[in-house]
Amino acid sequence: MQIECIVFFVMLGVFLLGNFLLKLPVSLSMVAGAVAGTLAAGDGIPLRHLFEGTFVYLDTVLIIATAMIFMTVVQESGTLDALAEVIVSRFYKVPAVMLVLLMIIVMFPGMVTGSSTASVLSAGAIVAPILLLMGLPAPTAGAFLAIGAVLGMAAPPVNIPAMLITGGVDMPYIGFEGPLFTLTIGSGVIAALFLGLRHCKNLDYRVIGRELDHETGKKYGLKLYLPLVLLIGLMLACRLFPNVVPTLGMPLIFLISAAVGCFTGRRFPIAASIREAMRTTVPVLGKLMGVGMFIQVMTLTGVRGFIVDSCLGLPAALLYLAICTVMPAFGAVSSYGSASVLGVPFMLALLSTGNQTVIAASLAFIVCMGDLMPPTALAGNYAAQIVKERYSKVLPQCAVPVMVCILMGLAFLLNSGSLGFLVP
Amino acid sequence: MTIIMKKPLLSAAVLLLAAALCVVSLASDFRSMQEREPIYPGPGVTSVRMLSDWFPGIHGTPGDTEVYILEGKKPGSSMLVLGGTHANEPSGVLAATLLVENAQPEEGTLYVITHTNQTGFTCTDPQEAAPMRFMIDTPAGPRWFRYGSRASNPIYQWPDPEIYVHASSGQQLSGSETRNLNRAYPGRPDGTLTEKIAYAITELIRTEKIAVEVDLHEASPEYPTINAIVAHENAMGLASDSLINMQLEGMEISLEPSPKNLHGLSHREIGDFTDAYALLMETSNPAQGRLRGRTDEHLVVTGQDKFYLKAFGYGRLYVPYDENGHPISQRVARHVTGIAAFANSYTEMNLGGERGGINLGTLPGYEELESDIGPYLCPKA
Repeated sequence: MQIECIVFFVMLGVFLLGNFLLKLPVSLSMVAGAVAGTLAAGDGIPLRHLFEGTFVYLDTVLIIATAMIFMTVVQESGTLDALAEVIVSRFYKVPAVMLVLLMIIVMFPGMVTGSSTASVLSAGAIVAPILLLMGLPAPTAGAFLAIGAVLGMAAPPVNIPAMLITGGVDMPYIGFEGPLFTLTIGSGVIAALFLGLRHCKNLDYRVIGRELDHETGKKYGLKLYLPLVLLIGLMLACRLFPNVVPTLGMPLIFLISAAVGCFTGRRFPIAASIREAMRTTVPVLGKLMGVGMFIQVMTLTGVRGFIVDSCLGLPAALLYLAICTVMPAFGAVSSYGSASVLGVPFMLALLSTGNQTVIAASLAFIVCMGDLMPPTALAGNYAAQIVKERYSKVLPQCAVPVMVCILMGLAFLLNSGSLGFLVP
Repeated sequence: MTIIMKKPLLSAAVLLLAAALCVVSLASDFRSMQEREPIYPGPGVTSVRMLSDWFPGIHGTPGDTEVYILEGKKPGSSMLVLGGTHANEPSGVLAATLLVENAQPEEGTLYVITHTNQTGFTCTDPQEAAPMRFMIDTPAGPRWFRYGSRASNPIYQWPDPEIYVHASSGQQLSGSETRNLNRAYPGRPDGTLTEKIAYAITELIRTEKIAVEVDLHEASPEYPTINAIVAHENAMGLASDSLINMQLEGMEISLEPSPKNLHGLSHREIGDFTDAYALLMETSNPAQGRLRGRTDEHLVVTGQDKFYLKAFGYGRLYVPYDENGHPISQRVARHVTGIAAFANSYTEMNLGGERGGINLGTLPGYEELESDIGPYLCPKA
C-alpha cells in the first residue's frame, strides 16, 4: 500500500475517532486528523502548514459572520415576518407557483454572488418561515433552502466553480448562461415541486393566516424592507457597474444592510442578538479552519495527488462515476477546492469529448452539490439552523433532489456534443 | 472536554495563550518571506533602475522591483524579459537571474525584471503547501531562491471581489484572479496594486520602445499549453522562425497563437496595446500541478514525481514524462535558449530595420544548461 494511502486512512481514522468516539467538535477532530497525517508522513507537527491552511477560508468566515448578523437583524426587526405575510396572502391559492417562486427567491443571492452561504443566510431566512407556514416539515423546509442555495450558487451569471475550472484550462468564462440556466432552473423546479407540493396542496388561509404577523408590516410600512432592498441593490450595483461602484465585498454589504435594519422596524437588543448570532455560528467557522488545515496537510503529504491520480487513472466509465461521486464528496472539504483540485483535471480529461463549455458547465454544476456534503456542508448546515433542525435530519431530505441534479449533470456531460446549441 | 465545559474561562485563556505562542513562533517564518534572495549583477549590467521610474504610482509600494538594463556595445533594438510574473514558477526567475549575471549583449539593449510581481514572492498560497525557498547547487556552494505565490500578496491587496472584471475588456474571471498579474494587462494607473504593476510594465515597453517582450512561465504537465511558445498574432513570424532554431538545438517545443478572446494576459494585451512583439514561454513544472504527490523542495528542483509518472502511463499528460522528471536545469535551459533564439531571429529577419538588431552575446547552450545551471548561478563575493 502506498504511503499516501496510509496517511489518508490515518487522517480519516483520527478524524472519525475524535468526532464520533470522543465526541470532539468537528473542528478539533479535523485538526487532530491533520496533525496525525503529518506525524504519519514523518513531517512532525509543521505549525506553519497547519496555520497557513486555515487562511484559505478567511474571506468565507467574514461573509458567514456578517451574513449571520444581517439575518439576525432582519428576523428581530420584523422584516421577515412582514414579508412572509405579504407573500403568503398573495400566492396561497397557487401553491405550485408559490413554491417555484420561493425557490427562485432562495437562488437569487447565489446567482449574483456565486455563494450558497449568501443565498441561504439572506433569502433562506426570508423563505423559511413561509415554507413552514405552508406546512412543510422543518427538515423538508431545510432541504428546500439548502437545495435552492446550491442551485443559486450554480446558476448564472456567476458560477465560481465554473470560473475556477475555466481558469485552470485558460478558457474564457463565456457562453455559460445557456447550459447553467437550463441545468439549474430545471433542477430547481423539480426540487421545489418534489419537496413542497405534497405538503401544501390544499392550503387553508384561515389556518395559516392565524400564524402570520399582520401588524408589523402595517406599523412600519415600506421602510421595513429597506435592509433587503439595500442588500440586493448593493450586490447588483457592485456586479453590474464594477467600474463605477467600488468593490465593497460581501461582508461590508451585509454589515451596511444590517446596520440600516437596526433602525427600520421593531426595536430589539442589538448587542445581545448579535452575540447570540455569533455564538451559534462559531462552530461552523471553526469547522472551516479545521478543513483548511486538513487540505493543506493532504497537499503537503501527497494525499491530494494520490486521490486525483487515482481518479484520473480510471477507465472512461468509471471516470464518469468518479465525477459524479468523488467530486461532490470532495465538497465535504470545500467545493471550490473540489473545482480546482478535481474539476480541472477532469475537464482536461474530457476536453475532446464534446462541447467544452457544456462540459465545464456540467462539471461545475456537479461540483456545487458538494456544498451539501458533511462535515462542512455550508448550505446544509445553515439551512438546518434557520429552520431550527439538526442537519442530520435535513440531509436525507436532500438526497433525491441531489441525485436528480447529479444525473442531469451527467446527462449533459455525456451529450455535451449535441447540447452545443445552448452555447450562443 | 469536561474541563472545557466546567471552566470555560480557564479553557479560553489556555487556548488563547496557545494561539498566541503559535503566532509568535510562526511570525518569524512568515516575516522571513520578506527577505529577498541576492542577485549578483554581472559585467553586462550597465544600470539598475526601479520599475516605478516608468510609473511613479508604484514608487514606495511593495510592487516596485528592480529593472536590470544591459546595454550592448552597439546600439540596436531592445528586448524585455519578464521572470517571476508568477512566483511559484521558479524557472522564469532563474532564467532571468542567469541573464542578469551572465549576459553581455553585443547589440541592442536587454531589459530584465527577475521578480516581476515582487509581492508574490513574499507569501505562499494557502493549501498549496509549497516550500518557502529552494536551493540550487553551485560550485561555490548551495544558493537559495524564493518560492512564492501565483498571485500578489493579499496583505497588500485584499479582499478579492467575488468576480474579477478585467478593466479594458469587461471579461469576468473568478475573484482570486484579481491578484494575478498575468490577468491584469495592460493595467490601470488608478487600479489595484496588481493592475498598477501591469501598467508600469506596459509603460516601460512604450517608453523604451521595447521591440520584443518575453514573459517566462511554467505550467503543470497536465496542462495543454506546455513546453510551448504563445505568441500574439503580430509575433507569429518571429516565433515560427525562432521555433525552428530551438528545435535545431534539440529542444522540442510547440507554438500556440494567443487566444483573441482571453484577456489580461501579457501575450494578448502587450501585443494589442504596444508595438512590441509579445511572446510567452511555458515549461513544465510538476510542483505546481494538481496530480503531484509530496510537495517539497526536492520536487521543485528535480521535477520528479511518481504520480506524474503514472499519469503519463495512462495518457493524461501533454508532455513526455519519465523517472528523470522535469528538472529545473532543463526548464531554465528551455527559457534561456528560447530568449536567445528570439533575439537571433529578430536580427536575422531584420525586424528592427534601421534601429538594428538584438545580439545577446554568447550565452550557454541548451545542452550545457540542461546538464547543470549551477556554474552560471554562482554567488559572488
